[in-house]
Amino acid sequence: MARLRATFWIYVTAYVVVVHLVLLPALYFGMGYVVRESHEDLFIDHARTFSRVLADEFEVGVALDSQTRIEDLLDFAITHGGARYAELYERGRSIRSLYGSSEIKAPRSTDLSFGQGGDGIYFVVRPIEHGRHHAELRLGFDEQPTEERIQLALTRMLWLLAGYLVVAIAVAIILSHRLSRPIQRLQAVSRAISSGDYTRALNVNTGIRELHELAEDLEAMRHELVGVNDRLEAKIKEKEISEVRREELQKQLRHHQRLETVGTLASGIAHEINNVLVPIILYTDTALQDLPTSGAPRANLERVLAAARRAKDVVKKILTFSRELGEAKLALIDLREVVAESLHLFSVLAPPTIEIRTEIDESLPFVRADATLAAHLLMNLFTNAYQAMEGAKGTLTIGLRYQEHPTVGRISQPHVEFWVSDTGRGMDSATVERIFEPFFTTRSVGQGSGLGLSVVHGIVESFGATITVESMIGVGTTFRIFFPAVARLEVIGALAAPVV
Amino acid sequence: MQHILVVDDEPDVRDSVKYVLDRAGYSVRTAESATDALAELARNPTDLVITDIIMPQINGVEAIESIRKAFPSVRIIAISGGGNFGVTEYQPSAITTTAYLASAEKAGAHLVLTKPFETFELIRSVEHVLGVGHA
Repeated sequence: MARLRATFWIYVTAYVVVVHLVLLPALYFGMGYVVRESHEDLFIDHARTFSRVLADEFEVGVALDSQTRIEDLLDFAITHGGARYAELYERGRSIRSLYGSSEIKAPRSTDLSFGQGGDGIYFVVRPIEHGRHHAELRLGFDEQPTEERIQLALTRMLWLLAGYLVVAIAVAIILSHRLSRPIQRLQAVSRAISSGDYTRALNVNTGIRELHELAEDLEAMRHELVGVNDRLEAKIKEKEISEVRREELQKQLRHHQRLETVGTLASGIAHEINNVLVPIILYTDTALQDLPTSGAPRANLERVLAAARRAKDVVKKILTFSRELGEAKLALIDLREVVAESLHLFSVLAPPTIEIRTEIDESLPFVRADATLAAHLLMNLFTNAYQAMEGAKGTLTIGLRYQEHPTVGRISQPHVEFWVSDTGRGMDSATVERIFEPFFTTRSVGQGSGLGLSVVHGIVESFGATITVESMIGVGTTFRIFFPAVARLEVIGALAAPVV
Repeated sequence: MQHILVVDDEPDVRDSVKYVLDRAGYSVRTAESATDALAELARNPTDLVITDIIMPQINGVEAIESIRKAFPSVRIIAISGGGNFGVTEYQPSAITTTAYLASAEKAGAHLVLTKPFETFELIRSVEHVLGVGHA
């Protein structure tokens, strides 16, 4: 349907043409009628007036008795009255002006209208009563000049009207073009807006107030749209970001929940085993007190007791993992000392194929941790890194630095970051996902319990620290631990009253 | 002779502790819940209560508070075997035993002992709290 619609200027022009085609003929015929009427009336008035004046002249004195006078007056009608035919008729006697046309036959009565008879002559017949005379003055006026004047006037009018039509069409075209230009500009901008380009401003200069106001209104609308669009885009972006964050948090939560579930399970088991161990240890111990200092039963019971104590140690380890670090004594420690100590120990154990690099800050704030557990933690990570590079040359980088605003999960407080980076095999994301789960291991049976990294996780959590892992297959793995840094004031307070 | 009341929902723990302390020359009675323990304390004079912390119904910490209030002269040793319990039948929320032990101490326990303990640890703890022996 849109294609069938004419453009604005064609529409306006066609409209103007149609209106004029209807109006102009009517105007032409109407005005033609008026022109013709006035010309004819003028002509007839003249003919009649002249006839009456001439007739009056015949009625004066003895004019009718003089042949010469009659002829003179008739000639006067031809030469000065515009008549083509002049005759005085009286009782069979007819006197005609010789100047007149001889072929014309005069009728007995006055013509009723212009052009009557189709002979091109308008006849006026006037009776002349004078004394004994009863004559008729018959005058024939040539209609031709008047007809020509009428035709000339009509032709001129036609030309005028044609000229007017042309001017009107030209004005219509120019006007419609001038009108449609700002509309087209508005159209272009609104199209741009509908296709998503909100940046083009509606600068439409037009002298037409309505269009100007329309442009201003549209510009205001565009402004509003741009604002709405910006707000919408910002909202969508915000939503996307929050979605990503939510997913990240959910992932963390799931991970955390799984660890917690396993931890809870381990704790439950530990609790039960501890309850079982109480009677075993107490009864065995008291039984031993009753037995002689030597003999097989004593040796056997001592082994039972030793096994029970080993069980107790295993449970303690499991509890370590499950954050049951009742024995851990958090104190303010300098991580550099712990790192130096562990590194010293590890460098003795590490094969010469592994190069050890350190990137340690000059001075670091204290962190709250258990030095022994921290050393245990570091050794676990070193061993893990070394095993990842086993049988190949590799670099182990150990770093310690202070970070004012690290981006670790939810917390953004000053941290001391410790990292261990290896150039080993690396892990896929599925492995990274489960790396801190207890008993999860990629090593073959007998090479490790798989408890190492879960213990690491447990220790890190008990310090209130956060551990992250980044890994890439074939490139290596980096473990980062973020210890909350203890503020200087806290340290002074803590040194005054040692933390237990 | 000093009177000791051992409170634990686990019969094996209860009996073995009673056995060791009986042999050490104390008069030992047992109770399997905090409610029973409070009734028992009202019935008979008691010098020391050894109570588990994680028990069904009334837990040890509440029991300790009640005992301290009703029987201020009674000495208390809190015992517990580890574990971080999530929401279990024992605890309404996840509180570690460490936290429990700390709250037991806060509630008024004179000493806390972690399960499993050695015979000598148990006896020394009892002697220490009762103010006999080397104390």
